[in-house]
Formats: sequence, structure tokens, C-alpha cells
Amino acid sequence: MATLNLTLKVWRQENAQAQGRIETYQAKNIPDEASFLEMLDIVNEELVHEGKEPIHFDHDCREGICGMCSLTINGVPHGGKKVTTCQLHMRQFKDGDTIWIEPFRAKAFPLLRDLIVDRSALDKIIAAGGFVDIRTGSAPNANNMPVRKKTADAAFDAAACIGCGACVASCKNSSAMLFTSAKAAHLNLLPQGYPEKNKRVLAMVRQMDALGFGNCTNQYECEAACPKGVSVDNIAKLNRDYMIACASEAVGVFS
Amino acid sequence: MNDIITTACKFVTSSIGRKILVALTGACLLLFLVGHLAGNMTIYGSSAEGSWINVYATGLHSMPAWLLWAIRLGLLAVFAVHVLLALVLKYENYNARTHYQKEGTLKATLSSRTMVITGVMILCFLLLHLWQLTLNGDPANCYEHVVHGFQNPVCSVAYIIAICCLFMHVRHGVQSVMQTLGLGTRKVRPLYNIVAVLFALVVCGAFISIPLSVLTGILH
Repeated sequence: MATLNLTLKVWRQENAQAQGRIETYQAKNIPDEASFLEMLDIVNEELVHEGKEPIHFDHDCREGICGMCSLTINGVPHGGKKVTTCQLHMRQFKDGDTIWIEPFRAKAFPLLRDLIVDRSALDKIIAAGGFVDIRTGSAPNANNMPVRKKTADAAFDAAACIGCGACVASCKNSSAMLFTSAKAAHLNLLPQGYPEKNKRVLAMVRQMDALGFGNCTNQYECEAACPKGVSVDNIAKLNRDYMIACASEAVGVFS
Repeated sequence: MNDIITTACKFVTSSIGRKILVALTGACLLLFLVGHLAGNMTIYGSSAEGSWINVYATGLHSMPAWLLWAIRLGLLAVFAVHVLLALVLKYENYNARTHYQKEGTLKATLSSRTMVITGVMILCFLLLHLWQLTLNGDPANCYEHVVHGFQNPVCSVAYIIAICCLFMHVRHGVQSVMQTLGLGTRKVRPLYNIVAVLFALVVCGAFISIPLSVLTGILH
């Protein structure tokens, strides 16, 4: 079993008002099969032994499916290996590496403590329109409700979004377009969500704008940083759907 | 009617709506660039009546005054919308961000990250360009005026630098227009990228060929 000795440059900040700073820690004897979060656990145990405040960070399932873990590693959310931070393993790093660990940064994600940020702005976008108004019942029987294979695949790929916020954190403009477009496309593509497509698109885009996210400049950093590989095709679709929704609203196709 | 006005106001103040306006005006400017280039290429031809570019410039100026000014004001409006909205969006984007101590980039191109810088450079160049050739030019002696201007190396180098900025701007702009107008999919996006680079290379290469031809004595 190989072990690594690393230098960590970690963002420390006591609370939202405090002045943040980078602090340096030595991570010694880290097994290369440890996950990134387990590496931080090891460092934190040492800090606790020394009577110091451990590094605060978000985590939950540690299986790559909940979207709770964050961390911008060397300037890239989740480290840029197409996995969540909890699924990023230390074998991706070399002995003697210096690793910069910062929170997911965006004005719309206010910092709570150290590496923890408040990502509830994403929940507010969902609350504005990322749902279906009527009861759709339990999963329909196979072939009861025909959906084209390509459409089902596209909806499923969009639904893979776990809402971690890496798209916002990686974006040079802190835009939430990839998140919003994935959530809108997921429902707009399916028969249960389609009837409310225009209403949903307008509500979600307007909420996204109101929350102070930036504007997309088509650099596709979001797609590259997304641990679930959500495609920027969804952004093009949202642009299209938004034009259609505005036109429908203007001429009163729906009220 | 009220619904239409309300929605239109919401559209032109939304993020996507303004992006679409920047994309549409950008597309108009790309078309203008093609037309302008086609006109400029007449500098390489001449006949008994003199250089073709002199004929072309005189022809442009002999169109009815109302049409000439309609085109000029139309272009100015398109340009103003493009520049102002892009600057406002950039200002918002800057304010939406909290900066990292260690910045990392995965795939954003240099040209996409410098759109505002190259854009402002092009704006400054455009003002000089209009001052030198439109305000102080004589359509009948266009050829002589251009060649004389480019015989000054400072003028030629400034022109080449400006066109390099244009290359960077157009190289991101062309494919960005397609994505913003909702025409991007993972199958065609690489194609748009190739088209963007080729378009920028051909257009900017052709523009740069003029000062190079003057400096190397091909045009004199």
C-alpha cells in the first residue's frame, strides 16, 4: 500500500462575516486508496488531537449520488475528474503534491464556514418550476405511456443532475444555466411534464435571474466539471424553449 | 397588446433574452464583415478606369443619401446593442463571481475568456478606422489613400493587431451564436467549432493580406 505526503492549502473562515484566509497543513501517510474526504478526515483527526478546530466541509452519502459534497480542488470543482469529491481517490495525486482546497465560490452561494457554502439558491430554482403540478401516480406500466427511446435517454441524462452546484462553481460567470436547463429539460421532455413546459421554463429562468447568478457565455466549463456528465445540449434546449415560452406568453397561448 | 409589451420587457431584461440579442446582433455584424471583406478585396483588381476599389467606393457613395444613412444608422444601432448589452452582461457576470485563490480552467478557450478585451480593442480600432478612411477619405482616390496609409509601418502593425483581436473575437463568437440561438447539440458542436476557426481564419487572413501586400510592395 503506497502512502502519500501532501501539502494542503485550505480556505479557513470562521463564519460568513469573518475574513477568510488560506492555511497550510501537512497531510502525512495518506493511503492512496483513501477518498479525498477520507484524506480530510485523517487530517481533521490530527487537528482534533492537537486541540485545533477541524476543517469544516459538506458531505453525506459518500457514494457519489447525493450531491452534498463540494470542494474546489486546485481551482476545479470536485477536482475535474468527472466524479464527485467523495469518489475522487488519492491515487489521482502524487507524493509531495500541493493541493489547494477552496469552497464552491459564487455570490449566489454564500459561505457559511470554511468549505461549506449555502446552495439553497438551487432549491429555489426548483421550487419556482422544477416540478409537475398534478399527481402522476406511481411508475406507469411498461409501454402504457409511449416515450421515444431517444427522448427517454435525453430526459434520463438530464435527470442525472445531482444538484451539487459544480457547474456554478466552475463557471467563469457563476451561471446556473447547466443546472436550470437540466432540471427543466428532464421534465419538459417527458409526457408528465410537457403540458407545463412554457410555464416551467419562464418561472425557472426568471427565478435564476433574480437570484443573482451570472449569464452563460458558452465556455462549457460546467459540462467539463460536472461529475454526472450533464451535457450543454440542455442549455441550447433551454435557450430554444425560453424563446418559445416568451412568444407563447406574449400572444397569450396560455395564461 | 399589454401582454406583448410586458413579455418583451421581461425578455430584453432576462439573461437569456439579452444573450439572444447579443447573438443576433453579432450574427448581423458577421454578415457585415463578409460584405465589407468582399468590398475590400476589390483592391486587388484594376481595369482601364483605374483600381476597382475606387470604382466600388465611388459607387457606394453615389447611392441615394437616405439609403446610405439608413444603412449607416442601422449598423450603428446593431453595433450599439451588441456592445452595450455585452458590457452590461459582463458587469453582471463579474459581480456574480467570488474569485478563487487558485484559479483552474478545464476547457474554456483563451478567446472565450477575453471576449470583452478583444471586443473593446475592436471598438477602439473601429473608431480610428472610421476617422482615417470614412471621415478623411476620398472615394475617388480610395486605392491611393489605403496604400499610402499602410506604407506607414505603425499603421499597418496596428491594423494587423486589431485584426488578430477580431480573429479571437469571431473564433468564439461564431460557435457561441449557434449555442445561444439553441442550435447546438453534441453532434454539431465540434462542426461549429471548425466552422468558427475556418471563418475567422479566412476573414482575418484576407483582411491582413492587404497591409502585408502593401508592405511587401505587391500593392503600390
